[in-house]
Amino acid sequence: MSKYAVEVNDVKIRFNLATQKVDNLKEYAIKLVRHELMFQEFLALQHISLKIQKGESWGFIGRNGSGKSTLLKTISGILQPSEGTVKVRGSIAPLIELGAGFDTDLTARENIFLNGLVLGHSREFMKEHFDEIVEFANISQFLDSPVKNFSSGMKARLGFAVATIVNPDILVVDEVLEVGDLRFRRKCNERMQQMLAGGTTLLYVSHNIDSVKSLCDNAVWLEEGQIKMMGPSVEVCDAYKEEQEREINERKEMIREKKRREREKYDYLIVGAGLYGAVAARELTKRGKHCLVIDKRSHIGGNVYTEDVDGIQVHKYGAHIFHTSNDRIWRYVNRFADFNHYINSPLAVYKDELYNLPFNMNTFSKLWGLKKPAEVREKIAGQIAGLGITEPKNLEEQALSLVGPDVYEKLVRGYTEKQWGRDCKDLPAFIIRRLPLRFTYDNNYFNDVYQGIPIGGYTALVENLLRNTDVLLETDFFTYRKEHPEMFDKVVYSGMIDEYFDFCYGHLEYRTVQFETERLPESDFQGNAVVNYTEREVPYTRIIEHKHFEPEAELENPKDFTIISREYSTEWKPGIEPYYPINDEKNTALYEKYRALAEKEKNVIFGGRLGRYQYYNMDEVIRSALEDVGIELNIKIRLE
Amino acid sequence: MDLLQYRIKTLFKYKDLILELVARDIKLKYRRSFLGYVWSVLNPLLIMLVLTVVFSRLLGRKIENYPVYLVCGRMLFDFMKTSTNNAMRSVIGNSSLLRKVYVPKYIFTLAKVTSSMVDTMFSLGALVIVMLVTHAKFHIYIIMTPLVIIQLYIFCCGLGFFLAQANVFFRDVQYIYSALTTAWMYLTPIIYQLDDRFPKWLQILIKGFNPMYYYVAQFRDLVYYGQIPGPRIFWGGWLIAFLTLLIGVWSFQRSKDRFVLYI
Repeated sequence: MSKYAVEVNDVKIRFNLATQKVDNLKEYAIKLVRHELMFQEFLALQHISLKIQKGESWGFIGRNGSGKSTLLKTISGILQPSEGTVKVRGSIAPLIELGAGFDTDLTARENIFLNGLVLGHSREFMKEHFDEIVEFANISQFLDSPVKNFSSGMKARLGFAVATIVNPDILVVDEVLEVGDLRFRRKCNERMQQMLAGGTTLLYVSHNIDSVKSLCDNAVWLEEGQIKMMGPSVEVCDAYKEEQEREINERKEMIREKKRREREKYDYLIVGAGLYGAVAARELTKRGKHCLVIDKRSHIGGNVYTEDVDGIQVHKYGAHIFHTSNDRIWRYVNRFADFNHYINSPLAVYKDELYNLPFNMNTFSKLWGLKKPAEVREKIAGQIAGLGITEPKNLEEQALSLVGPDVYEKLVRGYTEKQWGRDCKDLPAFIIRRLPLRFTYDNNYFNDVYQGIPIGGYTALVENLLRNTDVLLETDFFTYRKEHPEMFDKVVYSGMIDEYFDFCYGHLEYRTVQFETERLPESDFQGNAVVNYTEREVPYTRIIEHKHFEPEAELENPKDFTIISREYSTEWKPGIEPYYPINDEKNTALYEKYRALAEKEKNVIFGGRLGRYQYYNMDEVIRSALEDVGIELNIKIRLE
Repeated sequence: MDLLQYRIKTLFKYKDLILELVARDIKLKYRRSFLGYVWSVLNPLLIMLVLTVVFSRLLGRKIENYPVYLVCGRMLFDFMKTSTNNAMRSVIGNSSLLRKVYVPKYIFTLAKVTSSMVDTMFSLGALVIVMLVTHAKFHIYIIMTPLVIIQLYIFCCGLGFFLAQANVFFRDVQYIYSALTTAWMYLTPIIYQLDDRFPKWLQILIKGFNPMYYYVAQFRDLVYYGQIPGPRIFWGGWLIAFLTLLIGVWSFQRSKDRFVLYI
């Protein structure tokens, strides 16, 4: 005869979750039609091999649902393995609670018999041992009360007493002893020790690691239906306990972290989700600062925001063409978006004539029919000399002295007058300091080394910058500050500086533009992204056709419609979207007063176009944000 | 052969359990009722009284000693109905136990049918009382009635096994079966006599294919008419009983290992 009481060979138990939940015909029919019946298989146990010698005691530990009880059921013969074999030599006595499965209406006396018979004893045998059981369970005065009136401890006692009247070859105990009182548990332990000494094999499932350690020589640690560890119970139990503690700590840590995040205030409150705010947020967050970005608009990106309208990226707040000569800034932005090769070459329409911009040989040859740069230089110089202006008194004279009457009349005057809303004669000369003339046939508006537009729009770029930062949209800074004054340490403020100080010295002025956007049912409206209208009689200053900013997208996915925006210059009044700071004497002086106030605000950094009252190109604003973060954290931000 | 031997051995091993379960059912049925076991006799008597009053004018005018006629049929049909109904719930009803300890599952089904049979034995007392009261003649053939009861017992075990396993997988079986038994009752000549008022095809249908007809007819032959049942219904009764048992055992055996996953 083999020395093994239990041999388990590569057992697998497979449950079909799909059909187990189905216990009525309707669901069955539905699932049958949907072919859902056979597919949800769940392996309750797999690759389980065990050899348990006679007289050994084995503990089974593991989390809920790890397969402990399933394994014991398989050994007891309640479950049949889907694969593999189970061999059991000798009688098995499972310890079952009385009342679980029995008629609680029956009395203790009747239940003792019933329970004994269920375990396979004969009536005769039960009669013989009846007194012994009653004595052990210590329930003699309740013998004739129905079991439903018993406490769970009493039921467990009775169950244990019945299960252990004989020394079974194998005793299976599945978490039933936890309910009894201390004295009874000690009694049970003694009894089990006794039985073990008498050669009984014990299979013991418990969450009480200490009782497994004291009762069992060996232990099996199950996890997700597989044996994770098997061996001397002390070792296995300690490993299990360690793992459990680690898990508990991890979970605690996670909860703590979450609570901290929820409750803890932010290091920086960044006002404005435009380029300045987004770059600052990204750099601060990257360096371990906890930042919150708020913006009163319903979208991120500030004025560089682009909206996807059926595949066309619409520059909602005017044309934005990224250009820079700083190769580190260029590499920096390329980390957050891919850029296309867009080259800005605007056109100008004057009456029914069309000219290239900026003023270059293409423009001049169209104007005068001249071909050679030298001829053009001579022509312009001649025109300017003929005017005899020595000290320009107004903008008109200033412009005339720079480009001569032809260029001025057709391409400068009307446009400038529309921009400023008054006559060039009434405008101060300093607005135009220089009007660059290019004596090559080059239509590229910018002189920078790098130029392009992020593929997929600027919004995606800003999104990438803000990836790891919390963002609250449609949130006004002043309201937020009033409601949550305790939520942040410092502020990075990229809003209007005068508004921050409640306009205490009066309003700073801006030049502003408005857009009239229209969707047209034609595939191409003007053949170029930007066309300026230079005569004064046309109310708008230019028309932007957005699809031409992304020619590659149009090539890949031609659209039979287009979206254009007419740009109007309007006079700015408080409350209108501000665009361009006016750096004249008056406003500059006013800004200086605000700046003095700003310097006294210890925990606020003012930045960006509105915070500094200064016009920035996109590359400049990025650089400025990086610089400010560097100063704030007292580090040098290296870009590579 | 080994398997059969093993099965008989386990059945023998658990015989005390079956007896205990049967005893439990009977004990629990009338526990805490004032009259106790007397109800086993009294209950069919009372129902018979009601039915006699209701139906004797309506259906039983031509039937001699309608009360005895009625009790014979009802007793057997009730046995079939309660035993199979209890058997149907026997496996799921003991789910918490079956999940924890290995016990041959059929034990519970068998015990339920058996306890219903014991109950039926009690109601035989009611039949005797009715016969005494109505001055019915006691025929010698009455001693053969256990033969019919055994046939019906076997039949009920078979049907019970089938229903018990089906009910584990589809709980709707209970509701379907309850509707079916009602129809079944009306298709069995219990409150009426299957005479020429019925169309020929219906008579053939009932006499040929309604198992309950075989048992009720045999029983009435022995008790009510005082004659030996015809060989067709006698042997037919045995055949149907064993055939049903075969189907029941086969279906139960086939699916019993999966029970624990569904209960």
